[in-house]
Amino acid sequence: MTINLHLKQAPSVPLEAEVLSPNVMAELSNSEIRALVVYHGKRQVPLEEFFDVDGERSYELIIHGELNKVRLIGRAMSRGTVTVHGSVGMHLGALMTGGRIEVHGDASDWIGAEMKNGFIHVHGNAGGQIGAAYRGALAGMKNGTIIVDGSAGLEVGMRMRRGTIILGGPAKDFTGLQMKGGTIILQSGAEIRTGAWMNRGTIISMKPLQMMPTFAYASDFNPTFTNVYAKQLKPHGIDLPFAGSDGTYQRFAGDLSVPGKGEILVWQPA
Amino acid sequence: MLRITGGKIYDPANGIDGHVRDICINDRGKIVDSVDGGRTINASGMIIFPGGVDVHTHVAGGAMNFARAMTPEDHRRTQAFIRTQSRRSGLGGMAPTTFATGYLYAGMGFTTVNEAAVPVLSARHTHEELADIPIVDKATLTLMANNEIMLDQMEAGEYERAKNVVAWYIWAAKSYGVKAVNPGGVAAWKWGSDAKQMTDSIDGYNSLTPGKIVTMLATICDDLGLPHPMHLHCNNLGAPGNISTTLDTLKHLEGHRAHIAHSQYHAYGGDDWDTMCSATAQLAEYFNTHPNITTDAGAVLFGDTVTITADGPWQHLLYKLTGRKWGNLDVENETGCGIVPYTYRPSNLVNAVQWASGLELMLLIKNPWQVFLSTDHPNGGCFWRYPEIIQLLMCADFRNECIAKLPDKIKGRITLPEIDREYTLYEVATSMSAGPARALGLTQKGNLGVGCDADIVIYEEEDDVARMFSHPRYVIKAGEVVIEDGEIRETPEGREFLVKPSYAPETDEFMRPRFEDCYTMSFENYPVEIERIENPNMQECINANED
Amino acid sequence: MTCTLGEVKQRADFIVYWGGNPAECHPRHFTKYTIMQKSKFLPRGRKDRTMVLVDIRETKSAKAADIFMQVKPGKDFELITILRALIKHQHVGDDQIAETGVTREMLDDLVQRMKSCKFGCFFFGMGLSMTRGKHMNSAALLTLAAEMNAFTKFVAMPMRGHGNVTGADVIMRWQTGYPFGITFNRGYPRYNPGEFSTVDVLVRGDCDAAFIIGADPGATMPQPAIDHLKRIPTICLDPHITHTSKLARVHITTAAQGISAPGTAYRMDELPLPLKPALKSPYPTDEDVVRRINKAISEKPFWLPEGSQPQMITAQV
Repeated sequence: MTINLHLKQAPSVPLEAEVLSPNVMAELSNSEIRALVVYHGKRQVPLEEFFDVDGERSYELIIHGELNKVRLIGRAMSRGTVTVHGSVGMHLGALMTGGRIEVHGDASDWIGAEMKNGFIHVHGNAGGQIGAAYRGALAGMKNGTIIVDGSAGLEVGMRMRRGTIILGGPAKDFTGLQMKGGTIILQSGAEIRTGAWMNRGTIISMKPLQMMPTFAYASDFNPTFTNVYAKQLKPHGIDLPFAGSDGTYQRFAGDLSVPGKGEILVWQPA
Repeated sequence: MLRITGGKIYDPANGIDGHVRDICINDRGKIVDSVDGGRTINASGMIIFPGGVDVHTHVAGGAMNFARAMTPEDHRRTQAFIRTQSRRSGLGGMAPTTFATGYLYAGMGFTTVNEAAVPVLSARHTHEELADIPIVDKATLTLMANNEIMLDQMEAGEYERAKNVVAWYIWAAKSYGVKAVNPGGVAAWKWGSDAKQMTDSIDGYNSLTPGKIVTMLATICDDLGLPHPMHLHCNNLGAPGNISTTLDTLKHLEGHRAHIAHSQYHAYGGDDWDTMCSATAQLAEYFNTHPNITTDAGAVLFGDTVTITADGPWQHLLYKLTGRKWGNLDVENETGCGIVPYTYRPSNLVNAVQWASGLELMLLIKNPWQVFLSTDHPNGGCFWRYPEIIQLLMCADFRNECIAKLPDKIKGRITLPEIDREYTLYEVATSMSAGPARALGLTQKGNLGVGCDADIVIYEEEDDVARMFSHPRYVIKAGEVVIEDGEIRETPEGREFLVKPSYAPETDEFMRPRFEDCYTMSFENYPVEIERIENPNMQECINANED
Repeated sequence: MTCTLGEVKQRADFIVYWGGNPAECHPRHFTKYTIMQKSKFLPRGRKDRTMVLVDIRETKSAKAADIFMQVKPGKDFELITILRALIKHQHVGDDQIAETGVTREMLDDLVQRMKSCKFGCFFFGMGLSMTRGKHMNSAALLTLAAEMNAFTKFVAMPMRGHGNVTGADVIMRWQTGYPFGITFNRGYPRYNPGEFSTVDVLVRGDCDAAFIIGADPGATMPQPAIDHLKRIPTICLDPHITHTSKLARVHITTAAQGISAPGTAYRMDELPLPLKPALKSPYPTDEDVVRRINKAISEKPFWLPEGSQPQMITAQV
């Protein structure tokens, strides 16, 4: 049993729909779901004004349509699944504490911001501030996993404390800015200022990176934890190299300006 | 017109302790003997207090506004005020926005607040902000103790000139009195150093010491006949063992009136952070034998807050201790201020000592007319948490429960566990309203006598003291019912209290060259015009010679 | 970490302009507030002060500077970050330093001067805050200034552009808690620069009307933002004909602030200055117009249906 939602008409201004979450809908009848309030700009409108709703009382949501202007989907959800066929707007899965979100399309900024746990997989490209801390907050995501197959924007994993972010495509500037812990894996590298001001945590890049001047080269090595990561990532279709015969990781430590104990590992194929 | 019938009245200014009596209010918002017609509120079984008066708070001005900008993460989690037809939107929290400040104070039964730190240069800004704080009446104090033009005159022994300078500044800033912060210390901080003891020399001066500044400024406030005496934030705030500085400061005030701000932060024994303990017994003893001095507690409540004070050196210390965000703002020629978000934790021994010390002062100083409810908002905790303090003062059992949660090492460092005093409602009314009003010299406030302002708060009597004090049934401001059943009904504008102390006419010409030498603003643009104050209310200076 | 300009005038013996060209953009800054002033504490004026200019090219301001450091374009953030490391005695490699366009000797000298001054001040301009990295570049300099306070007194201050930007910022803060980038769509202020900031809202086409006062986005914003302004009903209040007023559906001519309309302006250091009009204008002030619009709106039905209230978004976490 699932709840299927189809976008009827594209909103003309952003539609804030934090009610698109299993936590909200799980116990509701079809008519109650249709009556849920969403915010079209400053207007409060029933969900059914923008969505056709099939099904009821389920922890499984399937949403169809180009939802670029639909924000806050799956915000603060704790269980269940949200599957989106189409693109989504900002704050997807922000503050979530559990459950699973899958997007077959592109996502915007702030996905998984300050999330505490759970899993987000975006098959297309994503925006900036993935798993980041909102302005002024001391910590970003505290646990969970975010996978983006495509590219990402600025400040990915800004101030994250734990958890894993994996990017298939390239990221823009300030990846891992002020990171406090956790892991970011960059399969296609990143633009500049990766790991700037990081305190702790690990950034692993499969491609050469332009390093901040305040990172010091430490050694070449093949840490055993990459082996463990590789096993964990395998089910998601991600190959993380670890065998010494395939190459080595160059390890950089920083950011000296903090001074921090973070590390950036850059893969060097043999 | 309004008549309140059947309530139990606690009006310490008139010695009324829980008698049932009617209160009548006329159309001009004053308490009168009788009225004909109008609304009647049946307050049978309810408790009636004069509206609360906050003697020391920081609700507006450059520093507060800086703190707002620094704490977006707090704004997001705090209570939001959603706009309605009678109310504007805003945010509560550690550094509430202006409209929310008015709603929160009024919602707790407070109707008068004293913004205790206004640098003259940003007085214009502070008044603009105060105009956006609805409902409550306001007064401001001008920061003087580190004003270089005044210090120069003190250094030169020119007492009369220094007095004229102070009076000129009070009127230029359109304020109500004088606040002295860390005398001499902030001036030194501008060079990155500090002046901690009364006899320390001050960078940039030869003979001037903090002690001399304290005595001279207190004399000036007395001689000018300001309704509120010098409002002093002592040197060496927050440091272990600073009780000696505080007592020494108090000795410099013998024979003068003075109000010591947030004395909790100035009542520590010990030599360092590891041995820090409460020294409130010594301080309370001094107050108990010196009725010329009043104080407010500056109590600390556990939880998040943002510390904001004109005491830059202390702020930098806090920043180093916490490693968190830090903002600092220095104002030319006058003062500086710092801002650090901070969390007081019961598990932290220093914080636990601070928490106990604030309550100890409230309980050990015998006369509630001398010690007032405050948290030095937002430094020790937010003002909207005052009801929690009232509960701690009124219920010894609850207090002991809280003490039991402190770390074991606290034993021997505080005297709170040995105190069994419980505040009565009459004492609470004194400490949160009548006392601070009297200390501020606002005779029409904190008083339910005929002719006074009809600022009244009515509580439904209940056992849960914190709940009772945070949810008044009615709040009446200047005769208007502003809060009823927890809802904001009306949001009238408040007034601002000002004084115009007299100064020699030639002071303008004396100030001009010095001013233009020090400041980056033209002399004519500097004083705040009276037209810029919304609803100004002039208060008389008292002629000190006649007492 | 900031202070008022008077503090700089009185005390600053070490002044760094970073990514700004005060000689040409803020011509009175030198003479009125900073290096040329004599004071009680710096009686010899210019001689008692050291001025450093950091910029990507040698502008006219360089002539006024004691030290000019030419940073490679786009390397400001790196350079500031290196300085943060150096003041804490962290080792940064020569090659890494060279990437920013300066030498180790220059930086060692700068760090030594920064630490030994009595009162240091950074002023930063659009060359820092509007280039790649944007707010993080400013944040870097502010952080460096905060960290310098472990050694001596140090402050940092932005060189704000034209108009009363600071005033808007200050008032938004006291009324809403946030300086800019605010939405009220739920009946209370929410903040997220990048999401609710004007330029981002316009570029994404997130709004269906615009009301512009005291600004000319038609001249300064990126093309997609301008295109959106043309698409939607745009109302512009301005004393003059501007790019924005030309593309707006409605242009209301108002009295020029400070010349014929009174008020308060906030200087770049947030000190309020009274504006005393010298002339009378036949046009209403901005304030008049906004008040009249407000009054007209208040006669319409309230924006919320009777009895409904928007949901606070934080309440659910």
